[in-house]
Amino acid sequence: MKEKELVSKRYRKRSQLGDIFHRLRKNKGSMFGLCIIILLLVILILSFFIDYNAVTATDLANRYQGPSLKHPFGTDDMGRDMFLRTLYGTRYSLSIGFGATLLAAIVGVIIGSVSGYYGGLVDDLIMRLTDIISSIPAMLLGMVIVSILGGSVVNLIFAVGICSIQYYIRITRASILAIRGQEYVEAAKVIGMSDLRIIFTQILPNAFSPVIVTFSATIGIAILVSASLSFIGLGVAVPMPEWGALVSSGRNALRTAPFVSTFPGLFIMITVLAFNVLGDGLRDALDPKLKR
Amino acid sequence: MSDPILEVKNLKKYFKTSSGMVHAVDDCTFSIQRGRTLGVVGESGCGKSTTGRCIVRLIEPTSGEILYDHQDINKMNRHQLKRIRKDMQFIFQDPYYSLNPRNTVYQSIAAPIKLNKLMPGATKSQMEERVLELMDTVGLAERMINSYPHELDGGRRQRIGIARALAMDPQFIVCDEPVSALDVSIQAQILNLLKELQEKKNLTYMFITHDLSVVKYFSDDIVVMYLGQIVEKAPAAKLFENPRHPYTQALLSAELLPVVGGSKKRIQLTGEISSPLDPPDECRFAKRCPRHCRDCDCGMPGLVEIEPEHFAACHCIGDL
Amino acid sequence: MLFAKKKKIAPTAGYEEKDSDYVLEVRDLVVHYELENETVKAVNQISFQLKKGETLGLVGETGAGKTSTALAILNLVPDPPGVIKNGEILVNGKDVRSMSPMELEKVRGKDISIIFQDPMTSLNPVMTVGEQIAESIFLHEDVTRAESFEKAREMLEMVGIPGARADEYPHQFSGGMKQRVVIAIALACNPRCLLADEPTTALDVTIQAQVLDMMNDLKMRLGTSLVMITHDLGVIASICDTVAVMYAGQIVEYGTLEDVFNQPMHPYTEGLFNSLPSMNHKEGKLKPIPGYMPDPTKLPEGCAFAPRCRYATKDCSKPLKPRYVSDTHYVLCDAYDNPQFHIELQRGGEACE
Repeated sequence: MKEKELVSKRYRKRSQLGDIFHRLRKNKGSMFGLCIIILLLVILILSFFIDYNAVTATDLANRYQGPSLKHPFGTDDMGRDMFLRTLYGTRYSLSIGFGATLLAAIVGVIIGSVSGYYGGLVDDLIMRLTDIISSIPAMLLGMVIVSILGGSVVNLIFAVGICSIQYYIRITRASILAIRGQEYVEAAKVIGMSDLRIIFTQILPNAFSPVIVTFSATIGIAILVSASLSFIGLGVAVPMPEWGALVSSGRNALRTAPFVSTFPGLFIMITVLAFNVLGDGLRDALDPKLKR
Repeated sequence: MSDPILEVKNLKKYFKTSSGMVHAVDDCTFSIQRGRTLGVVGESGCGKSTTGRCIVRLIEPTSGEILYDHQDINKMNRHQLKRIRKDMQFIFQDPYYSLNPRNTVYQSIAAPIKLNKLMPGATKSQMEERVLELMDTVGLAERMINSYPHELDGGRRQRIGIARALAMDPQFIVCDEPVSALDVSIQAQILNLLKELQEKKNLTYMFITHDLSVVKYFSDDIVVMYLGQIVEKAPAAKLFENPRHPYTQALLSAELLPVVGGSKKRIQLTGEISSPLDPPDECRFAKRCPRHCRDCDCGMPGLVEIEPEHFAACHCIGDL
Repeated sequence: MLFAKKKKIAPTAGYEEKDSDYVLEVRDLVVHYELENETVKAVNQISFQLKKGETLGLVGETGAGKTSTALAILNLVPDPPGVIKNGEILVNGKDVRSMSPMELEKVRGKDISIIFQDPMTSLNPVMTVGEQIAESIFLHEDVTRAESFEKAREMLEMVGIPGARADEYPHQFSGGMKQRVVIAIALACNPRCLLADEPTTALDVTIQAQVLDMMNDLKMRLGTSLVMITHDLGVIASICDTVAVMYAGQIVEYGTLEDVFNQPMHPYTEGLFNSLPSMNHKEGKLKPIPGYMPDPTKLPEGCAFAPRCRYATKDCSKPLKPRYVSDTHYVLCDAYDNPQFHIELQRGGEACE
């Protein structure tokens, strides 16, 4: 027998995710950011069709060539094509930025939840440790970790990730503290919900939007830190065209051939900007109370 | 006649702060008869909300007994507590914060049913039928079933809160200022609804409020609280006709009537409200009391029955 | 009886000639909030006048446009999204809307001041209360710092706080005391008109009574005109001379306190009184107004109250004009076209129902 049609189906509305996207679409800045990010992802996929040999092929006869049709971004000190190298570098920068942030978010949210929900001594201990970590400049901490572990993509993810954990601990803890005192959490207790269920169904989903916003913003920071580490030579190994390393490769000829550093630098800048404006728009879009 | 559904004996709740113990609720004793409404009145900080939260064990009392149906709630384990919570529900003051902003009306109302397995093996459509039935009881239109709280106004949200409380078919509901955040015309709708439900389901209410006209309209018995203590306790009619405690008298005289030339002669309270931080052993109202007598500093006055069912806590009550 | 003239002569509201002895005149005020894809019509064509020493109560529920009106009077409507679409606001005969920022600064505080609802957030936590009162005096009057501080102490005494407490910070005061301080700041420069936006709503009953008594007393002594914005009919009854009942951005009924409270004419006013848990009748149900406030972005045509009104007919969608019942009393309801029409509520003194 066919079940009766559900009344709730009749009043089906846009899903919450759809609602969020609808609100996000109104924010021109974050739509621009989103477009840039999608474009970067397309570049990343296309870069898999680039022959790695073409990327590393040196041509000493054509060192420091200015931008031309053949070499849109010019060539570097070894005569390698900067256009191909920059496009190819997208994968390193994005994966380090994304990987490091994901690592930081997972670890940070867990630690932050524990700290915020249990409070007391555990909270004190975690927060003081976080204070200590945050008092060390991110670059310095990253340099120490990379020099201990050695430069590779994975190590870079690890180093940069550790630097951003503190943001997630703080933000998760703060929103959990705020939500824990809300009446709807008490209401859940009154209808007999267990503590664990309350954390997962009532508190965490509501604590999540600041985390998502931070996620978008810290990807930008992570890309910057990893590029900086590569710039000073502590990042990925030299022939790998990571953006920071590419900027670095042009620094000896900054006066004679500024384009070498300029184009990868522009890529870093635009990418970071894109993630930041997206984060900004997400903050507004994720708040269910900001309907209008 | 005497069939108390709830008895509270010597309830105390102290909060520890860096500057001392806050005596939020200090030695309160009262009971509620089945099917009746007890109004708890007092100004902000008098401990009325804390008392309500202790009763449903949202906060653990420092000491004292809370007997629901002659069973002590504080001695219950989690399992027993869960069972008793089906009987005892709570309606919150703020309809804006008492609903999870990420849950739809359906999810909010269905949650207690699912959690407590009240309809084991129910199909989705049976469950929905029950939710729609509850929505109808509280006067919410069917089309709002998928709405989020932020899409609705205060009155409708408070209706969701009531439907959620009713979902478990409770016997006893603590209403913590359920209408103070609402506009007058909506407030009247909700009060009518609560009254109808009481008649239909023989509910017992503990009605916490600071609004005297609401409590007078709504309650059978009234408890007046001041700084964590009960200062007067009487059936509503008696209390409003013949208030005996000087604080109750001042409180009633401060009520602004919506009629021309309606304001009565006000009893002016002077002086500062005493601090609930480690209060000294004296009448807590003494500093503001217009009827200050020499006994006032000698220990806290206890509740005395001045006439049948009418209690007041004042040293000078005999001097009247 | 119903149309009998009142002895008391209060200013007639509405659309008549300019008269300079009004402290405050508002004419055809329209305030909208223009959002991205909709317009919130907060205030729609309201007019009223206020004489020296008079107290006008603006009463209505959330979203009736009371606060927007007050903000518009001081030209403080947040812009964007708020826009004063139309209307004249004359403070002592001068139009607020055409003033330069400098002129506005002079008018605010000196000619007209405002008290907000929440005393906890309207005081600066890092300045002593004395300094905060003195600042306003120093800005508007030709006095030295020391003199202004001396005057601040006097103001504190006037609102019933010992002058010695002028050196204390806001957190050292209780809620009722803070609201007194806010009132002292508002009255510091002896303004001719004071706007009070729900000044006692955040306070306890006993404290509220004290503050209202004090405001009544100050009003008498200083001759200040007062616009009291509130949702509480009890507050109105205890302090106002004239009452304007607002609904969906319009004044639906206007008259002296006696007019409106003893012979309410508008079905909405009737509904408000019926909604109050009567102080005297316990038995019987309340008679609330059915339904909810209309969405201020989609106000119904004609009478905005019609969808909730039990007397509504199809004629209610026609545009409305205020209808004078007496010199002092008007109502915005077309049902009175029919001379037989009357609302059911008949209040004589306390009797209700």
